[in-house]
Amino acid sequence: MFKKILFATSATAASDHAARVAFNIARSYQSALNIFHVLGVPSRGYSQVVVDVKTKERVDVDEDYLAWVNEDIKTYYAKYLDERLHYTIDVAVGLPAREILRQAKKLTPDLIVIGGSTGDEDETVYKKSSAGTTLQKVAKASHCPVLVVNRPAASFWGGLSNIVFGTDFSKTSEKAFDFAMKVAKALDCEMHVFHALDISPLHGGRMLSQDEIEQQIREATRKIRALYGARLKELSHYSMDVWEGIPYVEIVKYARDKHADLLIMAHHSRKLPSQDIRMGGNVEQVIVRAGCPVISINK
Amino acid sequence: MPEGKFCNKKPVDTAEGITQLLSDTSGNTYYKEMKELTVDSDLLWKTIQNTCKSRIRTWLEICAHCGMCAESCFLYQVNGRDPKQVPAYKIQSTLGKIIQKKGKVDNAFMRHAMEVAWSQCTCCNRCGMYCPHGIDTGIMFGYLRGLLYQQGFVPWELKIGAGMHRVYNAQMDVTDADFVDTFEWMVEEYEEDYPGLTVPVDKEGADIMYTVNAREVKHYPEDLAEAAVLFHMAGENWTVPSKGWEETSLAMFAGDWAACKIQVESVYAAMERLKPKRMIGTECGHAHRATVIEGPYWAGRKDGLPPVESIHYVEWLAEALNTGKLKIDPSKRIKELVTLQDSCNYIRNQGLKQATRDIMKHIVEPGYFVEMSPNKEHNYCCGGGGGFNGIGLYRKQRNIALIKKRDQILATGAKLVLAPCHNCWDAIRDLEEEYDIGIRWSFLKPVIIKMLDIPDHLKPEE
Amino acid sequence: MHDLLTGVFFWIALGVCLIGMLARFIMYFRGLSWQLDRVAYTSHPAAGVKGAVRSIYKWLIPFGTYGWRTQPFIAVAFFGFHIGAVLLPFFLLGHTLFLKEKLGISFISLNATVADGLAWAAVISAFFLVLRRLVLPEVRIMTTLQDYFILLISIAPFATGLLARYEIGNYSFWLNMHIFCGELLLIAIPFTKLSHVFLFFASRAQLGMDFGIKRGGMKGTKMAW
Ligand code: HEM
Ligand code: HEM
Ligand code: SF4
Ligand code: SF4
Ligand code: SF4
Repeated sequence: MFKKILFATSATAASDHAARVAFNIARSYQSALNIFHVLGVPSRGYSQVVVDVKTKERVDVDEDYLAWVNEDIKTYYAKYLDERLHYTIDVAVGLPAREILRQAKKLTPDLIVIGGSTGDEDETVYKKSSAGTTLQKVAKASHCPVLVVNRPAASFWGGLSNIVFGTDFSKTSEKAFDFAMKVAKALDCEMHVFHALDISPLHGGRMLSQDEIEQQIREATRKIRALYGARLKELSHYSMDVWEGIPYVEIVKYARDKHADLLIMAHHSRKLPSQDIRMGGNVEQVIVRAGCPVISINK
Repeated sequence: MPEGKFCNKKPVDTAEGITQLLSDTSGNTYYKEMKELTVDSDLLWKTIQNTCKSRIRTWLEICAHCGMCAESCFLYQVNGRDPKQVPAYKIQSTLGKIIQKKGKVDNAFMRHAMEVAWSQCTCCNRCGMYCPHGIDTGIMFGYLRGLLYQQGFVPWELKIGAGMHRVYNAQMDVTDADFVDTFEWMVEEYEEDYPGLTVPVDKEGADIMYTVNAREVKHYPEDLAEAAVLFHMAGENWTVPSKGWEETSLAMFAGDWAACKIQVESVYAAMERLKPKRMIGTECGHAHRATVIEGPYWAGRKDGLPPVESIHYVEWLAEALNTGKLKIDPSKRIKELVTLQDSCNYIRNQGLKQATRDIMKHIVEPGYFVEMSPNKEHNYCCGGGGGFNGIGLYRKQRNIALIKKRDQILATGAKLVLAPCHNCWDAIRDLEEEYDIGIRWSFLKPVIIKMLDIPDHLKPEE
Repeated sequence: MHDLLTGVFFWIALGVCLIGMLARFIMYFRGLSWQLDRVAYTSHPAAGVKGAVRSIYKWLIPFGTYGWRTQPFIAVAFFGFHIGAVLLPFFLLGHTLFLKEKLGISFISLNATVADGLAWAAVISAFFLVLRRLVLPEVRIMTTLQDYFILLISIAPFATGLLARYEIGNYSFWLNMHIFCGELLLIAIPFTKLSHVFLFFASRAQLGMDFGIKRGGMKGTKMAW
């Protein structure tokens, strides 16, 4: 299932929750874990100088420095690292999102694990010039599922047993469902398929009457059954629900209700969240709020 | 120890050499060794006799020492009008002295000359416009850099940079395969949003051959995708060469003329191989200067022109917008005060001022574009030109140099600066980092992509 | 003495000056190298000439360039001095008579008041040029003894000429001094910075060709001097 995992980390407290998840999965499923750290953004034109995201200092990146950073990461994660864990450490220089994607292209991992704010605590001026966050960019372009852990509550200790799959019936959701099924089967989990009916007047343009809402809920439930019902039977435990409200709030609520330890959703690459809102799209909102890790699937 | 292990008169021309030089953190040992480096006065004088001909000699001779060039130099202005920053003084006390002494100068003098050549002049050529005798000090500094490079007195980063060109035909350790891979990767990533997007590699007889800055490949590959998107949207028949794709030349900043020739010939070879109608380079100032303006001379082309017509990205953009190949959605135009950085390398040095202004007309809501003052060919250097941006040894001086641009930008009241030049973009980023004046800056490509009026047949389906 | 100065010495001075100028002019253009200067002079003669002409005439117009406009003080001093320095040797009545007699060429003569005015303007301007050198740090730092020497031998003919004109002291002494200084100036032209009298045109033409050919001219952009 998760043979190769790419764990993109800032190697600071900001990634601690993600680290716990990454190391846990790797240990539980004997994955090869690549700990990947983008140490900073290039500065000074064409020169070798980089602003280190951790120390905020300008440093000359050379062999020695790379070795030192490598060692530093090892120390930072010492409590997780032992000989039973198959891990490698790589350190790169560049804009975090781009380098994570580059590494993913090279390693073709089954899963990318990333902290909610990886790289974003980097307060250099780069932030102002590059639209969107590291997370958004990675989630948008990644070929493999991206698992994001943003809140401390979202990290888990045990294995996976309860999956919530949020669908919006799009093509990408189809792929996300395939993946959710694969995980559920491989790890023998319960699966809860969920759709949130968007009733905010912002989207529909007007308020819906209660009759209309209930009518739409029925339709959605039917759609879920039609689309996923047959295949869900392959699992021993599953459920299907449709709630109405503001989608991202409902999903988070639902996941809490089901004691989910993993939320799987499709990422809508087309509807790039407007730049002014830092976390604009639905998935991003869920990531920020969810009490469990979220996997976003794009391709 | 006259010739050091790192600091010597030999250019670096192997990958191992580069790695070795890079291993000397910040060039600490390199600069230590430089203090021992001997000056080969005979070679220096012989070179001068062979290459310093009537133009420069006359400039040095007839300079009236009138100081009219003083105020034209932004470095003079921002350094408290220190008389030591007067262009004529800077060149007379360095190149002038070397010639006067027939090359018999010592190590300390050469190190001083190096400091002047790389930290007191960005070769922006502005002073040349203000000298009544038509003395272009920037050109002379370019020449002086060549002499210093030959003697091994060159900032560490630039020795590496020139070496990169010798080894990789690129300013960074980006191989031809890296370039093609990265371009293809980026296009694939963007293809979903722009159906049909491709990157035609090595297509013969295309209308456009596109060349880039290796930095885009290494750190900002989105730029490649954006270029592809815009060509695609404009319906251009374009290609990139798998070899000879690097338009820049740190060798030019370093004064390594032999490497300049190697570099530019790699691009010309691509032109001759693929026979495109035109070559277009990315949004880079010095790259255009190196490959299109000065390059033909390094390559020994008597007509002073590249093998095929070569234009700057802004010329293509202006053309595409003016002819309607690219359409802007008027509702998406920039509606905030915005200013424009005129890059010395193609504005002062090739008069492309109209192209960028045409572009502004298309992409900015009328009334929101504010010119810097002075502007066009009289604009000041961003503060980081001529290699200044990348030299660690002179970082302090570089930061002072940014003050002029900072004040120019502040005076416009704009919070957005469009900088169609890699170097300027860098310098403006650094000035925000250094002085925190709350501005944003951007190349043109990303800004234009966001406001395109995309024809229906090119829209993604859904 | 007078005969000597207006005779042999005059011919020597004039000869040295003219031959020197010509030789240096030729040497200048022969020393241009399309490749080293990175200007394709011969490949694009029309663009080159256009650029050269603009580059020269713009700078000959008082306040005709950004350079002159941004520095009005030196602009006034420069033109104040140079208009006299260029016109008087040819068109001063005393000179035209002399030139007619010696060379058989007759120039129109300047009206005496105008000539006086130009001469005084030149002397006063030269005074300010010297003052600038002494006062402004950005000029002082570069100023060498040669610069003062050049100014001195440039002003000398004016000063002595005026002394003779107003017959202060011994007229013929001052006249002889004047002629001597004038001849000294002529001789100095090819060998010193005064070579700018003609090399100015060479240098400006060269930069003009640079702009006319390589730096925008052939793209249709005229340099905004
Ligand atoms: C057409 C002829 C001439 C041209 C185009 C010309 C041009 C120039 C220029 C461009 C300068 C430098 C700018 C400046 O100092 O303001 C200069 C300086 C000077 N010129 Fe001329 N010049 C000409 C003839 C002469 C003649 C005939 C004399 C002498 C009688 C002369 C004496 C000087 C002197 C002394 C300076 C230095 C001024 C200083 O110390 O600041 N020039 N000339
Ligand atoms: C080289 C040969 C020269 C000769 C033979 C010569 C001869 C003369 C003569 C005969 C006069 C008339 C004096 C009088 O009023 O009776 C005169 C006046 C004058 N000359 Fe020359 N001159 C020479 C060179 C120069 C030069 C090179 C300059 C200046 C650049 C110059 C500037 C003047 C001036 C300013 C006057 C006085 C003008 C006035 O206010 O009337 N002369 N010269
Ligand atoms: S303006 Fe020209 S002549 Fe005057 S000092 Fe500067 S370089 Fe020399
Ligand atoms: S070229 Fe630019 S930086 Fe150099 S001396 Fe002239 S004005 Fe100053
Ligand atoms: S970086 Fe830009 S402004 Fe600065 S010298 Fe280069 S082209 Fe000119």
